[in-house]
Amino acid sequence: MKKILIVDDSKFSQKITSSLIKQYLDDAEFEFAGDGEEGLEKFKADHPDYIVVDLLMPKLRGGDLIEKIRQWDIDARIFVISADVQKRVRDVIEKMGVLSFINKPLDEEKAKKICNIIRNDAR
Amino acid sequence: MSDRVSKEDVLKELFNVGVGHAAATLSDIIDKKIVLNVPDLKVLDIEQGKNELDRFLNNVAEGAVMVSSITFDRQLEGKVSLIFPADKMHRFINLCLHEEHEQIGNMEFTDVDFDTVKEIGNIVLNAIIGELSNTINIPVEYSLPEVTVLNDASAELFVCGCESNFVLMLYITFDIEGTEIEGAIVINMTLKSLEDIVQTIDRMFNGR
Repeated sequence: MKKILIVDDSKFSQKITSSLIKQYLDDAEFEFAGDGEEGLEKFKADHPDYIVVDLLMPKLRGGDLIEKIRQWDIDARIFVISADVQKRVRDVIEKMGVLSFINKPLDEEKAKKICNIIRNDAR
Repeated sequence: MSDRVSKEDVLKELFNVGVGHAAATLSDIIDKKIVLNVPDLKVLDIEQGKNELDRFLNNVAEGAVMVSSITFDRQLEGKVSLIFPADKMHRFINLCLHEEHEQIGNMEFTDVDFDTVKEIGNIVLNAIIGELSNTINIPVEYSLPEVTVLNDASAELFVCGCESNFVLMLYITFDIEGTEIEGAIVINMTLKSLEDIVQTIDRMFNGR
């Protein structure tokens, strides 16, 4: 079973992300956090296999959350799903060693890509 | 840019790219074809902007609107708001959530409704401002998006009174399989930001 923590302040996006990933990854179970701080707490407490992080969130933004996660676990497996389409933002986040940076909205093709990365991820 | 007409033309074209991206994005969410028309873009000073927006609020939305907005700063500073007539929003939200029931004219909104419109607004406004930022290579940083319903909206709420600010108004019509929702995008930005955009466009296209 792959444990996936989705950190997004939008319940609408949480629902879309989890349901689309579930379509292509039967053995996925999900946890949710509504802001960066909660995401960090759940990451430390529950040790998910993968984290899906939004960037624009209250309390702790996605970029800062990724940095803090990296301090805790340098090998953490992180996907970013964000509405921000700026190339510079993508460059900065990709340099943080995320598995993939994907623009919202998530659709079937993008969800398949995430699930293939997870399947092929030999840890 | 030598005259206002050409400046507005180029700005309109720039925003059209973002609106096209936003339409594709919304279409993905709703899983239906969406046509977003941008019939007009106006660059206005604060007083003109308030008058223009008040006309829209009175004529189209009759004062009751749902507004999704986001503030941006760094090299470009301003606030962008996506304004919809509130009475059409249940139809729009149901399409986003893939739900069937209709509540025409109902002005009560749940937390799920607000959350949905906030996220859709976030995606659409990011598409518009982000594409602009990419084209002119000037970065922006966003605040958290906000969404609110206003029963008696007036332009004062969207347009800051600072004299050094400008207003860019884009009227957009969402045509979702025959259902038309007339909305507006109001970008309230500093004069310096607008000048930076225009100068950058000038350099890019005219080599000045």
